[in-house]
Amino acid sequence: MKRSYVGVILLAAILMMNIVFTQLVVHQYYYENYGVTLLYAGLNVLLFPVALFIYKKEKNKGGSKGYEERNLS
Amino acid sequence: MSDRNNKIPYDEDNYTHNINRNNERMLDRRGFMKTLAGAAGVFAVSTLPWGAVAAKELMGLGDKEYPHQKIADVKDVKVGDSVKFHFPSEHDSAILIRLSENKYVAYQNACTHLRCPVYWVKDEQEMICPCHHGKFDASTGAPTAGPPRRPLPGIEVEVKDEAIYAVRVKRYEA
Ligand code: FES
Repeated sequence: MKRSYVGVILLAAILMMNIVFTQLVVHQYYYENYGVTLLYAGLNVLLFPVALFIYKKEKNKGGSKGYEERNLS
Repeated sequence: MSDRNNKIPYDEDNYTHNINRNNERMLDRRGFMKTLAGAAGVFAVSTLPWGAVAAKELMGLGDKEYPHQKIADVKDVKVGDSVKFHFPSEHDSAILIRLSENKYVAYQNACTHLRCPVYWVKDEQEMICPCHHGKFDASTGAPTAGPPRRPLPGIEVEVKDEAIYAVRVKRYEA
């Protein structure tokens, strides 16, 4: 069984960035830097399509078959 | 694959042969990635409201002026005492402290950690948040101990005709 962890690692990194940006958004909002708030909120939203893209690209990588395929025969 | 569904089932009385429970609950790599991507979506959606209020705030920028509001009469506030009031709206609780004869400070007293009401402890000359023991410096509003990281937003006060008025909320100069 061949493993491909790239997607998992990338997605985990994206989630990490999501958490960081969310925190920054909240803090900058209370610091009344509304422009920066908008910037980080925008980045946070942008991360989602990126995550979807990585998922689409990586879901069929690696030697292990998906659940359905494994149980066909 | 293609002719999987058009076979006529053979006659038999065993109704469990097609139940396959192995690995039923297995979280494979793909499922895990699906979860991660979904979580990214949740984060994206949850920041939207923050962006929206920030944008709204950007539109109506400038030093917001609120009608001056009387907090108390000078004679009712002894040195070292504090008064609770609400400013600028009735949902923003605030606190006024008379530090010395002529020195008044006022802050919005929602703790900058999780918004518990901060109160003034005369004996310790400090503002203390009861929730997680955050402390704030009374003369500047800066956090001195505990979880809060941001200073309390200050309120400008004015003494006129033996009464104390709240004038405006100071902006952070960050
Ligand atoms: S809410 Fe004030 S310290 Fe946590």
